[in-house]
Amino acid sequence: MQLLEQSLERVGRVVLGKEEQIRLAVACLLARGHLLIEDLPGIGKTTLAYTLARVFSLEYRRVQFTSDMLPTDILGVSVFDPEQKRFHLRKGPVFTQLLLADEINRATPKTQSALLEAMEERQVTLDGLTRDLPEPFFVVATQNPVTQTGTFALPESQLDRFLMRVSLGYPAPEVELDLLAGGGERSRTISVEPVMDAGDLLQVMARVEEVRASRELLDYVQRLLDYSRTCGRFAAGLSPRAGLGLLRAARAWALLAGRDYVIPEDVQAVAAPVCEHRLQAVSGAGARGAAEELLEAVAVVR
Amino acid sequence: MTRVYQVPHQAFGWLVGGTLLASLPHLWSGPVWLQLSLPLLLGWRVLAHRGRLSLPGRNVRVLLLLGAVLGTFYSHGTILGPEAGTCLLVAAFGLKMLETFRFRDARVVVVLGYFVLATAFLFGQGPLLSLYVIAVMMMLTAALIGLHHPRGVGNAWRHLRLAAVMMFQALPLMVVLFVLVPRIEPLWSLQMDEPDARTGMSDSVSPGDIGRLSESDEVAFRVSFEQGVPEYRERYWRGLVLSRFDGRTWSRADNAAVDAIDYDWFPREPEPPWLHRLREARQGEEYSYQVILERTGRPWLFALSVPFTDGENRNIGMTRDMRLTHQGDVNQRLAYNVRSYPRAARAMDLDERERELNLRLPGDGNPQARERARALRAQAESDHAFAEAVLRWFNEEEFHYTLSPSRLGDEHIDEFLFSTRRGFCEHYASAYAFLMRAAGIPARLVGGYQGGEMNPLGNYMRIHQYDAHAWVEIWLEPAGWVRVDPTAAVAPERIEFGLERALDERGEGRGAAGVFSRWRENPVLRGLGDFTDYVQFAWQNWILAYDRRDQLALFEQWFGGTSPWRVAVALGIMLGIIVLPLALWILVRRPRYGPLQREYHRVVRWLARRGVRPRSGETPRALIGRAAVELPASAEPLRAWGSAFESVAYGADGGNEQAWRELRRAGRALRSPIPGRSRSRPGDGEQAHSADSER
Repeated sequence: MQLLEQSLERVGRVVLGKEEQIRLAVACLLARGHLLIEDLPGIGKTTLAYTLARVFSLEYRRVQFTSDMLPTDILGVSVFDPEQKRFHLRKGPVFTQLLLADEINRATPKTQSALLEAMEERQVTLDGLTRDLPEPFFVVATQNPVTQTGTFALPESQLDRFLMRVSLGYPAPEVELDLLAGGGERSRTISVEPVMDAGDLLQVMARVEEVRASRELLDYVQRLLDYSRTCGRFAAGLSPRAGLGLLRAARAWALLAGRDYVIPEDVQAVAAPVCEHRLQAVSGAGARGAAEELLEAVAVVR
Repeated sequence: MTRVYQVPHQAFGWLVGGTLLASLPHLWSGPVWLQLSLPLLLGWRVLAHRGRLSLPGRNVRVLLLLGAVLGTFYSHGTILGPEAGTCLLVAAFGLKMLETFRFRDARVVVVLGYFVLATAFLFGQGPLLSLYVIAVMMMLTAALIGLHHPRGVGNAWRHLRLAAVMMFQALPLMVVLFVLVPRIEPLWSLQMDEPDARTGMSDSVSPGDIGRLSESDEVAFRVSFEQGVPEYRERYWRGLVLSRFDGRTWSRADNAAVDAIDYDWFPREPEPPWLHRLREARQGEEYSYQVILERTGRPWLFALSVPFTDGENRNIGMTRDMRLTHQGDVNQRLAYNVRSYPRAARAMDLDERERELNLRLPGDGNPQARERARALRAQAESDHAFAEAVLRWFNEEEFHYTLSPSRLGDEHIDEFLFSTRRGFCEHYASAYAFLMRAAGIPARLVGGYQGGEMNPLGNYMRIHQYDAHAWVEIWLEPAGWVRVDPTAAVAPERIEFGLERALDERGEGRGAAGVFSRWRENPVLRGLGDFTDYVQFAWQNWILAYDRRDQLALFEQWFGGTSPWRVAVALGIMLGIIVLPLALWILVRRPRYGPLQREYHRVVRWLARRGVRPRSGETPRALIGRAAVELPASAEPLRAWGSAFESVAYGADGGNEQAWRELRRAGRALRSPIPGRSRSRPGDGEQAHSADSER
């Protein structure tokens, strides 16, 4: 438990003033979900991903997505070895523990879906051979706001593959002042020391599964899902996968809070990052966040 | 940039359809320009919705409105009054569709639609129209629902279903309001100008008049009997008594003659002696019934002889010739209760002026007939025997009962009696009365209906226009006025079974109308006809005829009085009776609370009484935390309860008896009053009591 607290604190030292997002990112990792960070360039997305990898001693690869990228650039390619006279697989960057897919929406849909398939299956099939990806496998994708030019928006079905979507936002003034005074962030990043190894992380992940979710709480989650489907404010309600994800994220969040059971606060804390990218409000619905609306409308205790 | 409001697609269909259908009853009878322009306006709106056309600008709209006003003025000569008013309303309603620039406008169209729809009742109140209005109202409601749904959501059919459900839910309320809301006498009355408002019997009978009526299948009136249904051959519905004869036409005695004999009486007037005598003679056979007369546009009413009214309707009076009469023309359907005592007629006397009136014949003409009358009278022993003899003559000689009599010249009666011998009831009645008068027996023609067909559903009788009939009354001492129907001597089937049968036996039909009436022979169609007529009848009887008097009678019967407070209490109780099961149903339908939820809500209520209300979506922990701050005195037990609740509801102790006990104990501790506890807020002195009373 202390290890978790410690790792949160370590990351917080690099990515300044973003405790909430860091906690969410870690919860996402613990819940075996993938994370989508949506924000403008230069906000610290990459730094967050890299720091996470350092703290949990994860093997880290980074792919910068471009519009001319092909699926093989991510998954790998079989190369003919003339000496041994056979094909030899050159693994792509996807074979790693933490993959930072930078600006995923710059790539074409074909390439995007190659990655997203790997994310869901946690395995890659190349030349008819299925290869498992390492454990843990965690993708942090960053995305520019879709309004920017030269981007391919991820379709809803693929957004669903990400457990959470968070945005970092500009730092607070005092934090930014610190940032400016503290010199280049790279130097701080390099200095981050690992807190756990991958084995510890897998153990913690296993404990997430054991966090208790009572009947009462499941009922609350179910009513949230139900409301999203029946209230008529969203083009489509939350899928059962979204529901499972919401519960898993709430469990991880509870664990991060040092509890072995989930309380409604946990669900509410992760509801926005888990649900908002999956809900498309129909026009005419209020400008407030979809998750906020959901949480306000559904009574916690029936 | 101004954004033009787009009517949501799912609402648009209902809106256009509702507009068209709401106007339809008015279009039906409206001027041609309206019939043409409304669909055009709606078509324009539809094209605008599709983006093919743009909505008209301000100038065009002003021009269109001007056109509508001018058109109305052109068609009706005014823009005031019910017809012109609704015409203008419908035109403006169509124009408003072209002005739906904002959400508000679309809503105005719907509300206006309800209003236009309601004005259809100005021109008719039948059951079918009511069903129609309800259906269109449902469409407009569906449009309203669609308007309020955000764009792109919802299915038009589902909106219609929702509207239907809503209207169904409103049904009990509608019934209660219909029955209980005080009926206020109309503050104003609308004068409808109806073309050809007069139907049925006119106030004179010439040869051919009744024959023409026999082509009509319309219902003249309906009768429901309370006591005693007369035999078919006794069903003589008297309406008019015609005493004046000019050689061709029988008409009513002129006013001067009528006034001289104290002719009529209306309730609240002093009773004339003849009426007193009639009343005294009410004995023997009795028929008690209600007549629902269709609009005739004339003042006379139909009833069996001798009719008495209950005097409830002050506009219905009685006349010396034993008829009922109405003050002013009957311009709408009229229901009246009658008791008839056929035997009372003998109590009537014959005034000298009346005798003279009923003996008067034109100075000359028809010599053959006069001669025959004298000859027959000379042979007969008495007036009575003479009357019989004439009937026998009609029966034994070659007289024909037919709808298509031969044309008659100037010597009317002579030609009929001695050469053509083909005629309908008025020919026989006219000739018979002539012969009687010629022989010195006072005689008069009576116009009305003979017959009537029982509807097994609803147990009432229908009298059609084709039952129109004319017969004769003669004065015989000592019986008084005696009914003689010469048609019975010629065509007894007419009197026993009705016109249809009588004509059938003569290989004759009632022309075009007769063809349509053939369906009566098919039992299924006949049943259907009976049923639809019964619906009409029930509707008139129970819905349209329900007025202030009925309402007061109903109040009297139900609540034992009509005082306002009684009615108010009754109204409250009725509403309660309706609302209570509904409320129970909603409560039952709601998922039951489990024990955990009960514990929670008990505390929530406890907090609410102290001014701490849960916010939407607030978690138990947050609520307790807030409450602990706001009610510092109870902070300790609150926190204790909060943690106990959390561990039972979400923690590992869900099934643990111990934890449950702990929770209940914490709840009791929280709610029990603690000595010396005080509230931070002033003015809450009753707090200790309320806490006490909770145990």
